[in-house]
Amino acid sequence: MSVLKRSPLIEGNKTYKDITEDICKPIESLPGKGWFSYFVPSVFTLMLWISVVATLIGVGLGLLGLSHPVGWGTPIVTFVFWIGIGHAGTLISAILFLFRQKWRTGINRAAEAMTIFAVMVAGLFPLIHVGRPWFAFWLIPYPNQRGPLWVNFRSPLLWDVFAVSTYATVSLVFWYMGMIPDLATVRDRAKNKIRRLIYGMLSLGWRGTNRNWSHYESVYLILAGLSTPLVLSVHTIVSFDFAVATLPGWHTTIFPPYFVAGAIFSGFAMVVTLMCLVRAGFPQMKSYITVDHLEVMNKIIMTTGLMVGYAYASEFFIAWYSGVEYEKYAFVNRAFGDYWWSYWIMAICNVVIPQVFWFKKMRRNIYVMFVISIFVNIGMWFERFVIIVTSLHRDFLPANWGYYHFTWFDAGLLFGSFGMFFTLFLLFLRAIPMVAMSEVKPVLSVGRDASGGHHE
Amino acid sequence: MINNDSSKYWRELNPNLEPELAKTLEEEFQSSPLASGDGKDGVARRDFLKLMGASLALSTTSCIRRPVQKIVPYVNRPAGLIPGVSQYYSSSWSDGGSVYGLIVKTREGKPIKFEGNPAFAVNGGALSARAQAHLLSVYDPDRLKDPAKVSGGTSTKVTWDQLDEDVSKKLSQGGVYFLTSSIPSPSTRMLISDFSSAFGAKHVAWDPLGQDQISSGQKESYGSAIMPRYRFHKARMIVSVECDFLGTWISPVEFARDFSVGRAPNSTMSKFVAFESNLSMTGANADLRVRIKASQQVHVILGLAHEIAVKKGLSRYAGAPGLRERLAAYAKAHEKLGIEEALWSRIADDLWAHRGQSLIVAGGLSASPGVGLQIAANLLNSILENDGKTIDYSEAPYVGFQSSYEDIKGLIRDMQAGKVKTLMIHKLNPAYVLGSNSGFVEACKNVPTIIYTGSHFDETAKLATYLAPDNHDIEDWSDAEAQKGVYVIQQPTIRPLGNTRSFQMSLINWAYMEEKGPKRLLDAENWYDYFTKYWMNQQRALGRPGSFEDFWHNFLQTGVVDVSGAGRDKVAAARSFRVSALDKISVPKDSNSLELVLYSSVSLGDGSDSNIAWLQELPDPVTKLVWDSYLSVSPERAKQLGVKSNQVVSVKTATGEMKLPVWVQPGLHDDVVAVAVGQGRDMQGRVANGVGANAFKLVDWSNDSSPVSSGLEVNLTVTSEISELACTQGHHSMEGRQIVVEATLDHYLKDNNANIHRHKITSIWSAHEYKGYKWGMAVDLSSCIGCNACMTACQSENNIPVVGKKYVLQGREMHWIRIDRYYVGNESNPDTVFQPVMCQHCDHAPCETVCPVAATTHSPEGINEMTYNRCVGTRYCSNNCPYKVRRFNWFSYIKESSPISMTQKPRNMALNPEVTVRSRGVMEKCTFCVQRIHEAKNHAKNENRKLQDGEVKTACQQTCPTGALIFGDMNDPNTQVSKLFKEQRTYSLLEEWNAQPSVRYMTKVRNTEHLKGAPAHHATGKASHSEPAKAAPHSDTGSTEKGSSHEPAHGGH
Repeated sequence: MSVLKRSPLIEGNKTYKDITEDICKPIESLPGKGWFSYFVPSVFTLMLWISVVATLIGVGLGLLGLSHPVGWGTPIVTFVFWIGIGHAGTLISAILFLFRQKWRTGINRAAEAMTIFAVMVAGLFPLIHVGRPWFAFWLIPYPNQRGPLWVNFRSPLLWDVFAVSTYATVSLVFWYMGMIPDLATVRDRAKNKIRRLIYGMLSLGWRGTNRNWSHYESVYLILAGLSTPLVLSVHTIVSFDFAVATLPGWHTTIFPPYFVAGAIFSGFAMVVTLMCLVRAGFPQMKSYITVDHLEVMNKIIMTTGLMVGYAYASEFFIAWYSGVEYEKYAFVNRAFGDYWWSYWIMAICNVVIPQVFWFKKMRRNIYVMFVISIFVNIGMWFERFVIIVTSLHRDFLPANWGYYHFTWFDAGLLFGSFGMFFTLFLLFLRAIPMVAMSEVKPVLSVGRDASGGHHE
Repeated sequence: MINNDSSKYWRELNPNLEPELAKTLEEEFQSSPLASGDGKDGVARRDFLKLMGASLALSTTSCIRRPVQKIVPYVNRPAGLIPGVSQYYSSSWSDGGSVYGLIVKTREGKPIKFEGNPAFAVNGGALSARAQAHLLSVYDPDRLKDPAKVSGGTSTKVTWDQLDEDVSKKLSQGGVYFLTSSIPSPSTRMLISDFSSAFGAKHVAWDPLGQDQISSGQKESYGSAIMPRYRFHKARMIVSVECDFLGTWISPVEFARDFSVGRAPNSTMSKFVAFESNLSMTGANADLRVRIKASQQVHVILGLAHEIAVKKGLSRYAGAPGLRERLAAYAKAHEKLGIEEALWSRIADDLWAHRGQSLIVAGGLSASPGVGLQIAANLLNSILENDGKTIDYSEAPYVGFQSSYEDIKGLIRDMQAGKVKTLMIHKLNPAYVLGSNSGFVEACKNVPTIIYTGSHFDETAKLATYLAPDNHDIEDWSDAEAQKGVYVIQQPTIRPLGNTRSFQMSLINWAYMEEKGPKRLLDAENWYDYFTKYWMNQQRALGRPGSFEDFWHNFLQTGVVDVSGAGRDKVAAARSFRVSALDKISVPKDSNSLELVLYSSVSLGDGSDSNIAWLQELPDPVTKLVWDSYLSVSPERAKQLGVKSNQVVSVKTATGEMKLPVWVQPGLHDDVVAVAVGQGRDMQGRVANGVGANAFKLVDWSNDSSPVSSGLEVNLTVTSEISELACTQGHHSMEGRQIVVEATLDHYLKDNNANIHRHKITSIWSAHEYKGYKWGMAVDLSSCIGCNACMTACQSENNIPVVGKKYVLQGREMHWIRIDRYYVGNESNPDTVFQPVMCQHCDHAPCETVCPVAATTHSPEGINEMTYNRCVGTRYCSNNCPYKVRRFNWFSYIKESSPISMTQKPRNMALNPEVTVRSRGVMEKCTFCVQRIHEAKNHAKNENRKLQDGEVKTACQQTCPTGALIFGDMNDPNTQVSKLFKEQRTYSLLEEWNAQPSVRYMTKVRNTEHLKGAPAHHATGKASHSEPAKAAPHSDTGSTEKGSSHEPAHGGH
């Protein structure tokens, strides 16, 4: 075995048939206790979330801890958090596809699903956070009878509407496109009519012909090309919400790359969290979602973690270097002011803890990476909290200074959103092949030596 | 179906059943669902159900109509009333003996705003926050609506006829007493004396805020009990001792206006030295403020008197017999006060240098001892030759005050002795404002009949026998003589909202029923008749020419009859001070114990209007707290006691005990704790009930010369309880930023640009073009005294909701204009600065760019407009506003169910129809009173001309007593605002941010030698930047600036 020999992408000497059987099994069998033990609490949390959101819309945003200087709080923090998570999927499937990273095949389907669901959850937050959600459609520039009333194209919030909706649409189409051959497989294996009908409709008449494949490949490539800039643009534009404002602590040119790095960081962490759970729940998936996969992602987490850490440091440098007193105060206040704890939670979770991944043993330890990936996401939620809340709570005129009083509704809004995310994700695991069969099969041979591979 | 035919189907093998059972079997169903054959069963079930169904359908579905809501057009429009056009009536409000001339703005018959009457010499066009808010008391939903009989603390509604019958019988039994607040209305006083002469009644007046001290002190010092007028505008050196003359003392609006005249930053700027224990709004405006113990007030004045008259041997009193001996005890007063000798001597020298142009004022609720302090102040004023010059005792002194401690003590004694058979209480709530050891409440048990004319079922109403609710001030006729020869009308501007009757009409009725009294009383058809006849005589007495018709018409129109005229500022000969009066001063004993000082707050005063939510949510000018009572403790004392803000302590004095949360207050003397009166109502109404504690209870009434409300010995017990206080301001130091620019007078006179750090600003954007008007506002920080009048005026004009304590704690108060108060210097005795901040109407408004739906836009006249209908509530604008002047509707504040809501009936009648009432989820902010601008513009357009400078006044500007806010057209170089903008002391807030605000500030100039804060901005600010305050927002009151630890003793002058 040469040193450059690649380790196999799929473990366990699988055949094509094995792959199909393994991957289709969760779709074709009834869920067991394990799945329900996740699903029931998730649905319960979702219900809780719906009631929290309904109360907020019915009674008023005053139920949250939002206040006079701190006009944005939990809803926007959590919006940016979920949008950030929504980055990994498209990055894995589009950018890694363009870079011909074959290891992506094992995780791209689930990661993309995660993206879609995260963006769905995220997209609701701006609606929840506005004072009059029933008029939120005014942010869409549509022909109307209100005379010259039109949206304000100078507002970053409007850019946000376009960026997020474009990203959501393209990601969804991309995900669905990639799924068609697999859906056709499920259709072909279906043993009852309804099943065949549903998957038949979803697979859009896929027959696996040469023409089908040829069209499919080119569309997939085009969509990958379209998605790639979007991966970078969404969070860039989300960061403009802050960077374009005049508030010290927001008004920073480093924000676009810093936000994108942070988004990849949190997105990969969420993929690791989910993949660890999937491996535990569906042991047969360990062959497709291997420790090698996870190790690669952990490397990316560590790298982006360092980038984020660099951004934290350079923000402080620029604040000092700029000589702007408000800017300086804003950053000193972040680290040592009333919200020092949130800053240090962020710094420890995002910069210190991922350093554990320098050690290969740790990188490959499922338990370690599971815990770290959760810490990373806690840290990333606090990063947005730090940026939004600590900058707002003490700005220019000290008389305005205030504090963000976290309420139960804030907690419900944050934790409840996980209910929606996990409900959707758990349903996904049971309805759609969680690993892209059609992409895994071509890489079956990678890393196998001539003798050991096929047993036929 | 059961078939009774003969051919039966068999059912069982054995059909021989018992007949009973056979019958049961046949009629398995006890009755048929169809109509029964014989009709015996009545209506069949199916028919019944059909009928029921049909009737249900008929009665519900077809009969629903929307409830009829009739709108009634003005078919017969009242003469002179145009719907949609405001009408203005002159009127007045007498707050005890203090009188405010009003212009009442009404719309479609509803008074919606109070403004000061510019023709009235006392308050002019200005009003205080309380006077502005008094409007809402007419619409108080808790007002008594009917006369009632009270027994055992519960009231039963009666008719006026029943009440009159009962009362008139009681009156003839004698022993009739009146207990009222000061009544400045000469016609009412005449009516009371007419009535009293007929029924042998006695009239006792009492004002709770210590107004009686002055006339008593005058009587002791000069022989006649008058209330002189203080001419602050003529004083170039003012020394106040525990006297909140800008906030609550006698006639604060007038004093504020006069005070500001002398405060223009030029070579004749007055110097103001304040000695006080608690940091009052007045003290916050001082050039030099010295902390003293409450028991040292007399020492300050007599110490200065000794310094001038005895030590330096100046003035005509220098050799006055007996003076030297009587002042000997005060030779070392400055040592006792902890003031450096050089400074002390300098103050004395300055006073002497400005003799005849100086003014010593002392007194109020926090004075100790009440009358003695007045005597001392009179002596010093006499020494300084101020009497007759800055103190007007002869031309236009106050005549509205009749309060007498002796009288009310006598009344209580008479009540205890059972001499009082019928007690009529009017415009006073004695059960609330008298100290718990006054014995009043117990003495009421000996009074068979108490008639109360109050507007609420309050503490006194509970003790009363009959409730004869009086009309509100703006529901009935009256008048007031504020100062000698200065009369003002009180016109009704709305029909009484309830079945109430004026106090005066009641007296006339009762006199008529008993057929007692002078002819003019018995002849009067009603109060209006009596009132106009009084003025017919008065016209002659005042020597006003012309027919009564003309005189009356003119009086109603202008609201004022002023015969004081040019004599107002005439110099009179000094009276001679009786040195022997000094023996009457009972100097408080020296004690090492903690002293409690009671004071009246700017928002609530004596607490009579505490049921007005505007006032409850109006931040105290100094503490910035709302909706509560609290014990102010100095930072040093708090450290010693180991208490922090919000911690509850038990406050115990000889007369009572109460639990209050602590507020750590810079500037308070370390041996003093202070609490405001006016809260602690439990029977006033839905707003005031349960808020805070009643500190009037702690006033000691055992003293003979005046009630003791200051320097009370107090014991504090710290509890573990926490009661959070709601502060509207988050942080109290400017952190070295250029926010309020201060300069000393000398520095400013040398360089008008003093201490303003200018920035070189370049912009890549082209500026807006303003072709017509361009509105702007100048804010003179030298003039602003922080009195909050603008906040209430704005609230009234713009329908601004109140949110309640719970939400103020979360920083959600809604005021469009706020007054930021910063402390400068060390926290034991800092300098205080005030800064009104409203929307700055930036030319490069950061809010406008970020709104995704263009709900906030720039008007062609430079106003940053807010379109509520378009707002979806992203709050991005607020986040991006460097001044944070935008306010968000977190909830629906217009819900009628909330007890503090402006839409709760009949409070909704006070809403300004020109201003949208905002719904939930939208942003709002100052509009520069755009509705006023448009009204004035329409007016000018009709006359085909341009607006003149001063024609449009914003609500805040209109009511400002000191003229600190100047609004106008920046495009016209001749307007006042344009001229001020060209002055060198004008700067923009956060100038370097280049938002280009249309509101600009003007340096605060202090007549002192050193500023406590180092010159602001880059020069010395660095130390504070690197070290953000660590403590909670409300406790880090001290400044972190370096080089700013000048104690007052080393500072000023």
